[in-house]
Amino acid sequence: MEMTITEKIMARNSGRDHVVPGQLVWTDVNSVMTMDYLGKQCFDKFRSLGKEEVFDKDRVICVSDHLVPPPNQKFATMLNEWREVVKQHDITHFYDLGRQGIAHQIMVEQGHVLPGTISIGTDSHANTYGAVGAVGNAIGVTDAAVAMATGKAWFRVPQSVKFHITGEWQPWVMAKDLSLHIMGMMHWNGHLIYKTLEFTGPAIKSLDMAGRMTLCNMTVDLGAKNGIIAPDTITKKYLDKVAKGSWDMIASDDDAHYDAVYEVDVTNLGPTVAMPDKLDDTVPVEKVIGIKFNKAFVGTCTNGRLEDLAVMAKIMKGKQIHRDVNMIVVPASQTVYLNALRAGYLETLIEAGAAVDTPSCAACAGIHTGVAGDGDIVLSAGNRNMKGRMGSKNAQIYLTSPSVVAASAITGVITDPRTFDV
Amino acid sequence: MIKGTCWVADDYVMAYDIIIQEYWTSPIDPVENSKWVMAGVKDEFNKENGFKDGGYTFIVAAHNFAGGGKSIEHVITGLIGAGIKAVFAISFARLQYRNAINYGLPFVTCDDISKGCDTGDELEYDPENGMIKNLTKGTSFQSIPAAPFVAEVGEAGGLMNYVREKIAKGEPIE
Repeated sequence: MEMTITEKIMARNSGRDHVVPGQLVWTDVNSVMTMDYLGKQCFDKFRSLGKEEVFDKDRVICVSDHLVPPPNQKFATMLNEWREVVKQHDITHFYDLGRQGIAHQIMVEQGHVLPGTISIGTDSHANTYGAVGAVGNAIGVTDAAVAMATGKAWFRVPQSVKFHITGEWQPWVMAKDLSLHIMGMMHWNGHLIYKTLEFTGPAIKSLDMAGRMTLCNMTVDLGAKNGIIAPDTITKKYLDKVAKGSWDMIASDDDAHYDAVYEVDVTNLGPTVAMPDKLDDTVPVEKVIGIKFNKAFVGTCTNGRLEDLAVMAKIMKGKQIHRDVNMIVVPASQTVYLNALRAGYLETLIEAGAAVDTPSCAACAGIHTGVAGDGDIVLSAGNRNMKGRMGSKNAQIYLTSPSVVAASAITGVITDPRTFDV
Repeated sequence: MIKGTCWVADDYVMAYDIIIQEYWTSPIDPVENSKWVMAGVKDEFNKENGFKDGGYTFIVAAHNFAGGGKSIEHVITGLIGAGIKAVFAISFARLQYRNAINYGLPFVTCDDISKGCDTGDELEYDPENGMIKNLTKGTSFQSIPAAPFVAEVGEAGGLMNYVREKIAKGEPIE
């Protein structure tokens, strides 16, 4: 019986030769991730199961990302309690302030997720791990506590949907544009609830790891269980440097069953923008050119990577950000930060008038570092734009790619990077 | 058999409206979380115990209940703390569907019910066979009964109890 990659991963990690959609299985997990604002509760719950030691100290990954650096005393105290509990359990991999990053970036860039395995995290964008051919799944504190104790999690094997992506990527068009395009095409939380989304085709083969992470990251916002891209030479090149553990190439069988197959040709795909409040209300950038905004934000687990900063630096080199725009750039991890610094990208962005802040989830979670106030119009390369997401309910958030944010920050109005004089 | 009144939601009740942003970093606790549960859904609920004071036992919703991509369990503990014993909807967002199973709160899939109830109607739900009766209107709806694993977790009082018992007995989890 032929299987899709996600079915194969569920079978392999539950000690079965074969699984079918709808089947309920307990699987081994490769890594369990938790972070600062929920982590202590995971450990507390874990101990309430009657265990003292986690199933594997190398496989429980702890990250400080939502609350760092603490903007107030409440978060500072929460972080202290968090550090205490991580220390108490002698966790090997603790990415705390100074070595921090957004958890999903850390999980991939530090090699904690591997093709053919399942990793879970207590934050919804854990779907990002699909970029390397892993099943990445967001879970709650309860599932994390159970996995910390047992190394296992339960799953209902999802039905598979294929997105076959063909054509040539046009200049300045990014994986984010494809994500937003699919969001508009499928509609938010429509037909893809509980499904696994597999991305295949020549335009995926040519996509770098940063783009693959963006694409898989936003599958959670489509309502999907996970998004996945089978490992290939790009994956291997990336993982050779970082993988913590061995892995093998895994792919869907040729005759595997998909509930639905959708084709997208990126040759016709331009920069794309999601209108305020609704993620699935997306339009080609041409429809919104000239709209004024006063805040620009690039960062997050969706678009805070080196490749994103590189594109922005190319667009913004030698230019000045418009006087009516405040721009904040937050690299997704300390590694990204350092590499962007060494490559000169941050120098370019700072010279253009951008404020660069230390890696964290920043204003994406509406908690700190550039939150939105009443009347703000934000052009963001983040992942969510519902009312109040970045702070005030009286702010508007347009979501788009880093290249659109970069070009627009210079002009002060939403701008098509393809027509921008670089 | 569970009996009580229902609150009927509009389409697309989002998780981040059930628990609004300022309470995401609160401890996960039914009493605490229930004080402000549903605060973002309706203005009338945006006060302490605003939803809880309605005394509802059931929520009746349409598509994608608790959607919008939040995995925080406060959503479920908030509803449990407010006295909700089951939620009936056409579909549920997967992150919270999973959390509901883990807490033993029935999230029950039922195609027709959202158009057949008004807020305040008295309902009766039989988890054994999935039958939902609207006692006020004299109508009934067949829902999809819980899968065996889900029922087992529910009977144990949630996944924590389920796993705790297995660990204590030295039984494999499979």
